[in-house]
Amino acid sequence: MANWVPLWLHRLGSPPVFYRFAGAVRPWALGLAIVLAGVALYGGLFVAPADYQQGDAYRIIFLHVPSAWMSLFIYGAMAVAAFVGLVWRIKIAEVVAMESAPVGAAFTFITLVTGSLWGKPMWGTWWTWDARLTSELVLLFIYLGVIGLYHSFEDRRQGARAASFLVLVGAVNVPIVHFSVNWWNTLHQGSTVRLLGPSHIETSMLWPLLTMMAATKLYYVASLFARVRADLIASEGGKGWVRELLAGRDGDAA
Amino acid sequence: MNASLAMGAYGFYVWSSVAVFFIVLLIDTLAPLARRRRNLRELRARIARQENRRRPGTPPSNESNA
Amino acid sequence: MTPGSTSAACAALLRRDLTLAWRRRGDIAMPVLYALIVATLFPFALGPEPALLARIAGGVVFVTVLLAVLLSLDNLFRADIEDGSMEQLMLAPQPLALLVGMKILAHWITSSLPLIVVAPLLAGMLKLPAPATPVLVFALVLATPLLSLLGAVLVALTAGSRRSGMLLALMLLPLCVPVVIFAAGAVAAAQEGLPWIAPIAWLGAGLAMAVVLAPLACAAALRIAMDT
Repeated sequence: MANWVPLWLHRLGSPPVFYRFAGAVRPWALGLAIVLAGVALYGGLFVAPADYQQGDAYRIIFLHVPSAWMSLFIYGAMAVAAFVGLVWRIKIAEVVAMESAPVGAAFTFITLVTGSLWGKPMWGTWWTWDARLTSELVLLFIYLGVIGLYHSFEDRRQGARAASFLVLVGAVNVPIVHFSVNWWNTLHQGSTVRLLGPSHIETSMLWPLLTMMAATKLYYVASLFARVRADLIASEGGKGWVRELLAGRDGDAA
Repeated sequence: MNASLAMGAYGFYVWSSVAVFFIVLLIDTLAPLARRRRNLRELRARIARQENRRRPGTPPSNESNA
Repeated sequence: MTPGSTSAACAALLRRDLTLAWRRRGDIAMPVLYALIVATLFPFALGPEPALLARIAGGVVFVTVLLAVLLSLDNLFRADIEDGSMEQLMLAPQPLALLVGMKILAHWITSSLPLIVVAPLLAGMLKLPAPATPVLVFALVLATPLLSLLGAVLVALTAGSRRSGMLLALMLLPLCVPVVIFAAGAVAAAQEGLPWIAPIAWLGAGLAMAVVLAPLACAAALRIAMDT
């Protein structure tokens, strides 16, 4: 009945098919992401009313929270791809896992910087050793470790497999770090900062947030596909389909 | 318009956040495009080298059946 | 023990690694010397007031020991990979996880045990109150094998790569955050006269998990990284 779904996924595992599919999807995803981000930012920065407590500074939420969601979402996607790549040895899954890491690191970095820029006027400090902030910093280190391990191997596939294993180790580690930092904070009773008070969110604030979330998701798809295409050209350089691509359309199209 | 751009007293923080967001993602968008172009150029150069090696002299015997 | 049995193989491997380490006794002293140097530098950097030193002593000793372990981790499998005996171990009929576990045990005995022995000395130099010292040693006894086990997995992952000590540190940092928090937390609690058994129990739970899982993960990582 729904037999075509697994069949289609199976075909997508082949590098040339994925290359063409990614090339077709990427411009649409990127364009839609830019449009949605523009709408969301207009709604968030100009239309939504100022917060009665935080004034206009809360508007950073429209950049900060979607980025924070993406930093975790991309790690989840990367962990799934890494698991699939390790278990079934599907090359595309390995490439997807490895090329997700830089995008995830970018979003984690944005989360940390925008969080600091939000914290400075609100709490008077740009950094506090809170469980969420520390976990996010640790997440950035894991992303950097994955990228570093991948690039330290001469053989790309071997590097991808080793780094995929590190991704799975990190997936176990992040919740443990979060828990231990929480425990540590109760021990030290230092600066207990409430990050988000128990406030219900207005519709005029909610829709830009959700739109921005969709935009960052689409952006991830676009960036990931561009990266996978660049990676496939290098790693499949000797194969016939890449040569046909070069000879056929001069390489810049397709 | 000017008042809403100033974001109360927090214009610096809000607009630097927007700037960081777009600069990082712009770099993230451009890097793979540049990498793909470089990979394609290198590949094209490699194929051209192989062609050159095959063409000018006598046709190599070990690759004639390839 | 019949020759060729798993237990005999483990014992033989442990004896071999300990003998090799004993032949190069100078290397065993290196992490200890490093820890001593770092602990000596702290009072010069922070000033000699005993109250300040006592407050930071536990944390400084832990970070120092952690860095010394990290320094010695780099050559956990190196000699075996370079002379080919790692391939022999991977081809052996005994389970690789057990054999790797023995190597980690030997590494812990030769690198971490001396550090635990000198830890009270370091703590004394940094004016850690005497009642907290047994807790420090106890926490170290639980934390250092945990660090060795976690580090061994990462060292195994870098087995086939170009060497980079910084990369190992970058990968180990996220893993050792909970270890440092609980180990140093136990000492801090003991110093303030609070009950310190809870963080020690968490460390013990982590160690029990790691003793079972880390050798398996280490063996899997070695097979991935050495796969050619």
